[in-house]
Amino acid sequence: MVLRVARQARWGGDADGRILLRDVTVRYGRRIALEAVSGEFASGSLTAVVGANGAGKSTLLAAIAGVVRLAGGMVKCAARQRLAHLPQLAAIDLDYPLTVSELITLGGWREFGPFRSPGTALRARVAEVAETVGLAGRLARPIGEISVGELQRALFARLMLQDAAVILLDEPFAAVDAQTMSVLLDQVTRWHQEGRTVIAVLHDLELVQARFPSTLVLARRCVAWGATEVALPAMAA
Amino acid sequence: MSAHALIVEPFETLAFMRAALVACLALALANGAIGTLLVLRRMSLDGDVLGHAVMPGAAIGFLYAGPSPAWLSLGGLASGLAVAALAGLITSERARRDAGLVTFYLVALSLGVVLVAWRGSNVDVVRVLFGTVLAIDQRALVQIAAVSSVSVLVIAALYRPLAVGAFDPAFLRAVGTRAPYGAAFLALVVLALVANFQAFGTLLAVGPMLLPAAAARCWGLGVAASMALATGLGLAASVAGLLVSYHANLPSGPAIVLAAGLLFGISLAATCSWRRLVPMIRSDA
Repeated sequence: MVLRVARQARWGGDADGRILLRDVTVRYGRRIALEAVSGEFASGSLTAVVGANGAGKSTLLAAIAGVVRLAGGMVKCAARQRLAHLPQLAAIDLDYPLTVSELITLGGWREFGPFRSPGTALRARVAEVAETVGLAGRLARPIGEISVGELQRALFARLMLQDAAVILLDEPFAAVDAQTMSVLLDQVTRWHQEGRTVIAVLHDLELVQARFPSTLVLARRCVAWGATEVALPAMAA
Repeated sequence: MSAHALIVEPFETLAFMRAALVACLALALANGAIGTLLVLRRMSLDGDVLGHAVMPGAAIGFLYAGPSPAWLSLGGLASGLAVAALAGLITSERARRDAGLVTFYLVALSLGVVLVAWRGSNVDVVRVLFGTVLAIDQRALVQIAAVSSVSVLVIAALYRPLAVGAFDPAFLRAVGTRAPYGAAFLALVVLALVANFQAFGTLLAVGPMLLPAAAARCWGLGVAASMALATGLGLAASVAGLLVSYHANLPSGPAIVLAAGLLFGISLAATCSWRRLVPMIRSDA
C-alpha cells in the first residue's frame, strides 16, 4: 500500500489524466484514418476502444500519444509527458538481441535517460514487477526465445515501471493464453484502481462488457462513446 | 614458404601494404559499430544506396580537383548527406520506398560514372567504382583515421539511444526523447561510407561495413558484443583479404570483401548447425 501511494505521488495524483479530443482527423496519404472525433476521456477512466479492422483504433492511440501528425483538430492531454503506450505485438522485432530484463528496464528510461546506467533501485523494481507478471525466472532469456504470452507480460512489466498517468494499450490480449490474460487483466484493473487513465483497443466484446466501464465505438468517426452498457450495443448495430 | 614470409613479410617490406593495413584496421573499428546498428535497424539496403549516393558528389569533387582524396570525400559527403535527407523525407511513403531507393542508387551511380568519364580516364572510373586500398597516401590515411575516431566516439556517447531507437523508436518518442538520434546515425553512416569509399570505391564501400556485422549477428550476442565481434571479423577479413590479394595478385578491395563474405558464410553455417545440435544435446541430457 505504501508503495502504491509513493507511485501515485510520483505521477502527480489523478488531476492530469484527462484527455480531450476535438475534431481529431488523421490521414495517411489520401486515406482518412480518423475523421472529426470529439470527446473526453475522464481522468482515471477505464475505456475500451472497439470497431472493425481499419476503423482507426490504433490511429486514435497514436494521435493521443502524439506520434502521428493530425490533419485537423486537436488533442489536449496534459499528461502527455507521463504517458505509456503498449504497441501491438507485431511491431516488436523479436530478432533484436535484448533480454527480458533489459526490455523491462527500459520502462525506467525517464530515470536513467540516454546517458546514464540504470541504478540498483531500478533493478530491484524490475525484479519486483517481473515477479508480479510471473516472469521472475525468465529475466535472462532473450526476447526471441520466450512465448508470445510471456512477451506481452514483459511489455506490461515495462509499462508498470513507466509509472504513467495515461496508459494506452493496443490489443493487449491478442494471441495470449487464458492464464496470461487473467494476470494482465488484473494489472489493468489495478491501474484503474490507482486512478490512472487506461484506454485499450479490444476485439473481445464480452470482455469489454464484463470488465470495462466505458466504451468508445469507432468506425473512422465516433459511433458511440459513453458507459459500456449504452455505447456497446452500437457496435452490433 | 614459412609463416613469416606468408603473413608478415608483405607488410614488413612494402610501405603501401602497411598503409592499406592501417587504413583497413581504422575502418574496421568504425564499421563494426555502425554496421551492427545498420543491420539491427534493418537498413542494410539503405546503407547500400547511401554508398552509391556518395558517387555524384565525389565525381564533382573529381571534376574540380582531380583524384584528390580531400575533394572526393567532401563532394561525396555532401551528396551522401543530401540523399540521406531526401530518403528521410520519403520514409513515410512506405509502399514507394524501395522503388525510390533503387532509383536513387541507379541514377547516382550512372551520374557519377558519366561525370568521371567525361573528364577522366577509364582508370579513374575503375578507381571510383572499386577504390584504391593499395594507393592510400598519408593524407587519406589521416582522414580515414579521423573519421573512424569520430564515429567510434559518437557511437560510444549515443550508444543507448541508438540501440533502443533501433529496437523501438516509438518507445523513445513516447518517453519524450525528441532529439534526432536517427538523423545523427544516418549522418554517421554517410561519414563512414565516405571513408570506406576511398579504400573500396562506391560499389564495395558498404561491404566492409555490412558483411562483418551480418556475420556477427548470426552468433546471437547482445548489441555491444555484436559490435565487438563485427570489428574483430572486419579486422580478420582485412588482413586475410590483403594477404590473398598480395600472394595471388588479385584486386585487394574485392579480396577483402570476399573474405568478409566467407566469414559471413562460415558464421551462418556454424550457427545453423549449432542451433540444430543444441536441442539434440539437451534432449540427450
